[in-house]
Amino acid sequence: MNNTLLIIEDNEQNYYLMRFLLEKNGFKVLGAETGKKGIEMARQHQPRAILLDIQLPEMDGYAVATVLKNDPELQKIPIVAVTSYAMVGDRERILAAGADRYIEKPINPETFVSEIQKFL
Amino acid sequence: MDFLMKQCLLLIALLMVLFSVVPSAGAESRVVTVGVYENPPKIFTPDKTDTGEPAGIFIDIIAYIAEQEGWDLKYAPGTWTEGLDRLAAGTIDLMPDVAYTASRDQIYAFHSVPVLSSWFQVYAAKGSNIHSLLDLNHKRILVLDRSVQHDAFLQLSQGFDLDFTLVSVPDYHTMFQTVAAGDADAAITNSFYGVMNAKKFGLHDTAVIFSPSNLFFAAPKNQSKHLLPAIDRHLSKLKNDSQSLYYQSLRHWTAEPVRFRLPEWVKITGIGGILLILLSLGSGLLLKHQVTVRTRELETANHTLRASEQKYRDLVMLANSIILRFTPDGRITFLNEFGQKFFGYDATEILGRQVVGTLVPESETTGRDLRPLLEDISRNPKKFERNVNKNILRNGDRVWIDWTNKMIADENGEIKEILSIGSDITPRVKNEIKIYQLNEALRQEAEILEQRVAERTAELREAKEQAEAADRIKSAFLATMSHELRTPLNSIIGFTGVLLQGLAGDLNNEQQKQMTMVQTSARHLLALINDVLDISKIEAGQLKVEAKPFGLPSAIEKTVKIVSPLAEKKGLQLKLDIADTVDTITTDQRRLEQIMVNLLNNAIKFTDKGQVALYCRKENTQYVITVADTGMGLREQDLEALFQPFRQIDSGTTRKHDGSGLGLSICKKLLDLMGGSISVESTWGEGSRFTVRLPVHPEE
Repeated sequence: MNNTLLIIEDNEQNYYLMRFLLEKNGFKVLGAETGKKGIEMARQHQPRAILLDIQLPEMDGYAVATVLKNDPELQKIPIVAVTSYAMVGDRERILAAGADRYIEKPINPETFVSEIQKFL
Repeated sequence: MDFLMKQCLLLIALLMVLFSVVPSAGAESRVVTVGVYENPPKIFTPDKTDTGEPAGIFIDIIAYIAEQEGWDLKYAPGTWTEGLDRLAAGTIDLMPDVAYTASRDQIYAFHSVPVLSSWFQVYAAKGSNIHSLLDLNHKRILVLDRSVQHDAFLQLSQGFDLDFTLVSVPDYHTMFQTVAAGDADAAITNSFYGVMNAKKFGLHDTAVIFSPSNLFFAAPKNQSKHLLPAIDRHLSKLKNDSQSLYYQSLRHWTAEPVRFRLPEWVKITGIGGILLILLSLGSGLLLKHQVTVRTRELETANHTLRASEQKYRDLVMLANSIILRFTPDGRITFLNEFGQKFFGYDATEILGRQVVGTLVPESETTGRDLRPLLEDISRNPKKFERNVNKNILRNGDRVWIDWTNKMIADENGEIKEILSIGSDITPRVKNEIKIYQLNEALRQEAEILEQRVAERTAELREAKEQAEAADRIKSAFLATMSHELRTPLNSIIGFTGVLLQGLAGDLNNEQQKQMTMVQTSARHLLALINDVLDISKIEAGQLKVEAKPFGLPSAIEKTVKIVSPLAEKKGLQLKLDIADTVDTITTDQRRLEQIMVNLLNNAIKFTDKGQVALYCRKENTQYVITVADTGMGLREQDLEALFQPFRQIDSGTTRKHDGSGLGLSICKKLLDLMGGSISVESTWGEGSRFTVRLPVHPEE
């Protein structure tokens, strides 16, 4: 069973936190620092799910989600937006762009992994 | 008189007997019918007990003539008017005592030599105060029916504007009786009747004497005219002889009765003289009366004229207006007293001087040249009927006068004089000027104000735009800050959690304690960021509230459960009381829970002992949620600002309690958006009660 998760996140500490928690719970974690690289890796590795930050350099999370959901090979992969954007409409815009779930930062380390597992 | 009358009658009777027996030769005997009526002493029937034969001056004369002419006299008694009618009808031959008038001349025939001259006179009761014609105003006056005096009196009184009642009466006797009885004020009779009878009725003669008339015998127009020349002939003779029967008769019928007998010769010689004296006295009296009356009338007219003249003079002199007359070339001919006082000149100083340069300045202060004013007035008088211009007083003061001008022209239409009546309107003009100036000042002030308002509005608009722009910048800044703060906080809270969970290896007790402190601080920082974010969202109008139905009791229970560990920790009793009527509510569940948690947290935070209670009940169409505590309470002066942002009481370095100070203001703003309200009651040192009201279902 595919146990690989792709995290697209430019903040090193946040990436490390998620990766640490997920690996502790038996997931294989891949990481990409930009949206472009993330799409590439998704195509290459076909992960079980993609954890997507929104504020990214060059290509933001909305654009990434749009590309992924419009690619026939990739559109089946669930996207979980993990973001600090908490303004009104952020959640709606992200879901509209193709994300399947929305987790607000800061994450709760005690419940984070179980939330991901529930979704898969 | 009785004696004389009887004597005379006896003589007449004797003569008549004599002549009826021996008619005079050459005279054709014929019957002459004479009308008789009661008008003593000229003609009357003396006493019914007597022979019934008439008597009087006219009878004496006609009897004498008849005797000379051999006429057979017959008498036809009746009233005056009956006599006139009979004469007109020709049933009698002669009517005595008829005054000649033009109109009567049309109907009757008259002889030429008057029998008597008479006049009419007004008689009134003694003490009646009726003396002249003017005294007859509003009086009731009796006059003989169809008589000359009727018309004559009306003619006389015509020019005097009198108001009286003229009553026609058939005979003089009735007239005097009526006046004597007080049923009328005056009676008009002929002088003969008046002289004879006035005293008897207690009447007196007045100065109203009019229409001297000649009295004749009248004959019908178409018959008996031949009698008239005979009458004339005899009358001429009789009147020429002072001792004739004519004068005897006059004396007899008009004199007062004589107490002693005079020798016959004295009588005979005296009669003529007395009669002459009487006549001259009579006419003298008549003239004197007429003069008196005329004088009185003239005096009245003069008086009226003088009064009206005085009135005019008073009006002109004393009027509170300036009355000025001047010639077309500007020479002052008159200035009334008021005008003299007003301008400060005596009449002697101002009369004859030029208007311009004295009363009218050569130019107004406005620069208007007033020298051609008079020429203008003469050229266009119509335009100058009303003229307001500046005038000058002797002391140099300028005044405004409103003039009404009347051009007085001669028969050729040439202006002879100008009459000007002026009122001083200086105070009014000054007031008007003041009002105008005030208005002008006000208008300018208003303009300045308007301009200031416009400027201020523009400033405010600009400020508002700037504020809005700043607000947008603030919101964007806050959103960015929120994001930028969350990212590191994510690591802090995340790794702290990882470490505390022991996922990175075991921690000793001290490490555990310190990491917990980091976690608490990080969480507090997160709460602060969340509150700031909420406020900025609400203020930017970005926060939308949902309206979905859910069970209120379970939502309340959930929030109570969230805060209960905190209450337990402080040893406070947490009481919950939800009424049975509380059921579903339609609103934003997450926000309502946020509000309740906030209120409960606050209550627990500020209460050191006692309890915190939440009550919920339904009131008509709204739910009322109350959070009450037994904490420190609030001072009255702090209540007002309680729901303003960043207003935690005791702010500054002395602050004892944590918190952003945003909680209550967020609650209020959220409730505003949700259609609800929040209020507070508190007593310092005893506790607070926060009450939230929310509609069961929001309005459409």
